[in-house]
Amino acid sequence: MALAGDIVNAPTPVAASVDSRPKVEVDISHRYGALKVHEGVRFGVQENEFLCIAGPSGCGKTTLLDILCGLLAPSVGQVLIDGERADPKRHNISFVFQEPSTLPWLTVWDNIATGLRIKKQPEAQIDAMVADIIRTVNLTGFERYYPHQISGGMKQRVAIARAFATQADLVLMDEPFVSLDQPTRERMQQEVLDIWQHHKRTIIFVTHNLEEAVFLGDRVIILSAKPASIVADIPIKLQRPRDPLSIEFTALRAHCVRLLQEVHVKGGGAATAP
Amino acid sequence: MTIKMRPIALNLLSLAVFAAVWQAGSMAVGSPFFPAPLEIVRAFLRLAASGDTQGTSLWIHSWASLYRVLVGFAAGVLLGVPLGLLMGLYRNVYAATRSVIEPFRFIPPIAWIPLAIIFFSGLPRFAFLIFLGAFFPVFTSTLVGVQRVELVHRKVALVYGASRLYVLTHIVVPTVLPDILAGMRIAMGAAWLTIVAAELAGGTNEGLGRMMLNYSELLKIPEIIVGMILIGLIGFVLNEILLLVERYLFKWRWQVTL
Repeated sequence: MALAGDIVNAPTPVAASVDSRPKVEVDISHRYGALKVHEGVRFGVQENEFLCIAGPSGCGKTTLLDILCGLLAPSVGQVLIDGERADPKRHNISFVFQEPSTLPWLTVWDNIATGLRIKKQPEAQIDAMVADIIRTVNLTGFERYYPHQISGGMKQRVAIARAFATQADLVLMDEPFVSLDQPTRERMQQEVLDIWQHHKRTIIFVTHNLEEAVFLGDRVIILSAKPASIVADIPIKLQRPRDPLSIEFTALRAHCVRLLQEVHVKGGGAATAP
Repeated sequence: MTIKMRPIALNLLSLAVFAAVWQAGSMAVGSPFFPAPLEIVRAFLRLAASGDTQGTSLWIHSWASLYRVLVGFAAGVLLGVPLGLLMGLYRNVYAATRSVIEPFRFIPPIAWIPLAIIFFSGLPRFAFLIFLGAFFPVFTSTLVGVQRVELVHRKVALVYGASRLYVLTHIVVPTVLPDILAGMRIAMGAAWLTIVAAELAGGTNEGLGRMMLNYSELLKIPEIIVGMILIGLIGFVLNEILLLVERYLFKWRWQVTL
């Protein structure tokens, strides 16, 4: 992997001081009928923090994301943003989906402007913000293209740009790079870090890939299989830009891998539940 | 869009070959029941210049048919699209009323002619019959199209706090529009099939179907064929117009409409 080579010397973003009230507070349990999905999942995210969540498949991550963005009410508990119950109509929440989510009938420009238009921003402001984010994600020149005319990696960049175009209180990312090939994936990881460093946001990034989690996150939370609860909450204090080949990186990654392996062993058959 | 000369030239060639084969066949048979293309052209010029036996011009006949089709077709679209959207979005409404709606689909509009003759006269009769032919293609393709709306596209809007109306107008309708247009093209075909049959059933002095029936009683084959060709041509032009609308609206589509 050649991740570290092309990184500019960006300063490490400093999360808000630990004792202040978190930007996002999560304390939920959820069940579908008799099936317990989440059992006391409880964590906070500081403003402008980059949190990664990893877990075995079948840990109910899609459900967790639906709850986090306020589209699904948890059976017990709540998600608070700035002390208020998370609500898509009140808060600025963005979502980068795992599957292709660009709207095929809109141009790159209009796709990116979607969130701002729904939030009824003034047109002039929309133009300025879309133009700005298009520069950041290197889509200049492609504004008038339709999604079918650009590559899969570019489409995902459009989705990321759409998510960062609004002044989002919270950006949720659901394995956004899982369908991309390895070189594209590495480039996109770096791009997300660059965007995050330019447009400060609070991010919750879900992934199965622990290397990705350790490379991106200020913190990595590891979930168990269903009923999911938090197994470990690991601060990643590595200097950015991070070198995935460094001894510290490798050690942290190995630590996370062992934790996840224990979850698999303990979880047994339950880990394969849908 | 650049106009491609090659397909146009090839199509003109096909037409010329068709006419030549027809002419040769007619000359070989040499019967008044097998008129040559030139006789059709002459019949057309006669009809265009001085009208039919009653002096009704070809344009009045054509416009009468076209107008009836457009009224019935518009009614079919205006009812088919909202009902299709409604039942597509609220599947349980469709599920609960399916046994009432679906059998109607299999009653051909022509089978309604006897009832239509009793209950309506003039334009409403024809518009009603056309409506029956146009409604179901539009309704069914809308209904099916709504099922194709991807959950992730809805979520894109919902996550930003979009209202149900916004999701309907900005996510559902753009997704379904290609299906609606495809349904409209099928509906247009069905409408033409119906109008001629309805006019042949009588109750009018105008319309291409009526004109053909008149000449059928006089055994004037060239005039009948003029009517047939006009029906084919008008239907073709209407279909081309819908195709142009489709190409304009759906330039975002990867699929090319055939």
